[in-house]
Order: sequence, then C-alpha cells, then structure tokens
Amino acid sequence: MNDMKSKDLKLLILKSLELESDPKEISQEINEAGAEYNFRDGFSDKVLDRIYSSGSAIVKKVEFVRDLNFVFYRLALTGAAAIIVLLISLFIMEGSFNLNSVLGLGNSYDETITCLLTGY
Amino acid sequence: MIKESYRQIGDEELVRATLEGDKRAYGEIISRYQNMVARTVKGMLGDSVYAEDIGQEVFVKLFYSLSDFRGEAKLSTYIQKIAVNLTLNEIKRRKRFFSMFSHKGNDEMHEIEIPDHDSEEKRDAVELVNKALMNLDPKFRVIVAMRMLQGYSTRETAEILDLPLGTVLSRLSRAQEQMKSILKKI
Repeated sequence: MNDMKSKDLKLLILKSLELESDPKEISQEINEAGAEYNFRDGFSDKVLDRIYSSGSAIVKKVEFVRDLNFVFYRLALTGAAAIIVLLISLFIMEGSFNLNSVLGLGNSYDETITCLLTGY
Repeated sequence: MIKESYRQIGDEELVRATLEGDKRAYGEIISRYQNMVARTVKGMLGDSVYAEDIGQEVFVKLFYSLSDFRGEAKLSTYIQKIAVNLTLNEIKRRKRFFSMFSHKGNDEMHEIEIPDHDSEEKRDAVELVNKALMNLDPKFRVIVAMRMLQGYSTRETAEILDLPLGTVLSRLSRAQEQMKSILKKI
C-alpha cells in the first residue's frame, strides 16, 4: 500500500469516529479500501459439522443410557422373581422363615460345627 | 436451486426451520451473517486463527440458544451480542493467561497473523486497520469496531453492548483521542 492510500485510510478511520459522520457510509468506504474481513473457505461447513456431529453424539449417548435402563429393569425384575420363588420354596420345605432356614443352616449344623472346631 | 430459495426466506422463517431440524436453513443463517461476525471478531481479536475459532463458537452458541430467540430484536443484533460477549471473554481470558506468563501486560494483542488476502493492497489495508484497533484499549476497541467496521450508530452500539448511550459517547470521544496518537505512530 503506498503512502497516499495509507494516509487516506488513516483519515477514513479518524472520520469514522466523528459523531457527525455517517458510520454506514464510512464503514463501506473502509471496506472498499481493502479492509474487509472474512472467515476462511469452508467456515459454514465446519460450524455445521460441529453442531450436527456433536448432536448425533448426544443422541447416541442418550440411546445408550436408555438401553442400559431397559437392561437394568429386566435384570431387576428377574432377580425379584427369583427371590420370591426361593422364599416360597424355603417356606414349603422348612415351614418357617427363621434365620437358619433362610441361610440354609439346619439345627444339627450347630453341633456338627462345634464338634468339628473343639474336637469333642 | 434449493440454495437460491433459502436466500429469499426471511430470518424468522429460517430460525423456525432450523428449530424443526432443517440443517440447510441454519447453513443459510451462517452464510448470511458470517461476514458480519468476522468483522466483529477479527476487528477485536486481530486476524488470527483464534478469531476463526471464536467465529465458529458464535454460531454454535447461537444454534443452541435459538429456542430462546423471541424475535423481539433483529437476528443480526442477537448474533452481534453473542459475538461481542464471546470476543470480550476471549480478550479477558488471553489477558489473564498472558499476565500469568509475562510482564508485558497488553502486548498479546499485538500478535496478528495476516492470512493470505487476494492482493497485497488488501493485506496492507487489513494490517493497518488491525494495528490501529489492537493498540486501542479493549473497551474502546469494541466501540470503534462496531462503528468503523460494522457501520453501527452510537444508539445501535449502545443496544448491542447493553451500555447507556452516554457511556458509548464518552468512550467514542476518548477512543478518538487515543486513535489519533496511535495513527501518528503507525
């Protein structure tokens, strides 16, 4: 840029800050003097990729959590059903719900264990 | 053909289409306002790669806040506000970062990367404007960038920056003084 053009541009810059000036007109002149600002090529595509690819990542994450919940509910229901069946069968076999029957220990166990541990 | 038809659609319609999942509608919003955002961001941060990132950030943030856009103000004003806020945050962040690692104060603002413009003349013009802007105090810089590069009046600038008109006027007057001495040196 030669000195003349540089001087003109400096004058335009100063003029743009004067209250009486028309900012639209001067910004247009500054733009025409070469001071135009653009983003690089492909800017729009980059932004769209960022938005829509991260959007699909969020959707995938949500789907994974939903699948995990579904599996958890199925496992929890199956587990609860198994516990109920176990308790019913225990009640039928032992006739009560005392701790030993729940733990699977018969009354004879105490003596056996005592004999085993003490040697008498 | 389709691209042409999007160009004829108004902003509000484009916003509605974007919210309904129309990717091309948002592409049109970006094409429509990217130069405006470039002037704000690059005018305040310099013509650097950081400015490109902030520019992208502006449109990403706009996308996620479109559902909050009530249409009370113009879409361009709404975008400008996002661009100015993100750029000012970046200036503050960089100021903090550089003040931790150097004693040069505001000098980080002078690092300007000039990308390949189509002619030497354009490159020189951008360099001159950037030098002038980067040497200004950031609170003056935003007002000067709004007026000089975007052509906003003081009233419009006050609205975008959420500042009282009196503050904009006094900053503009002080910016004018600062600019005079800057331009003498460059």
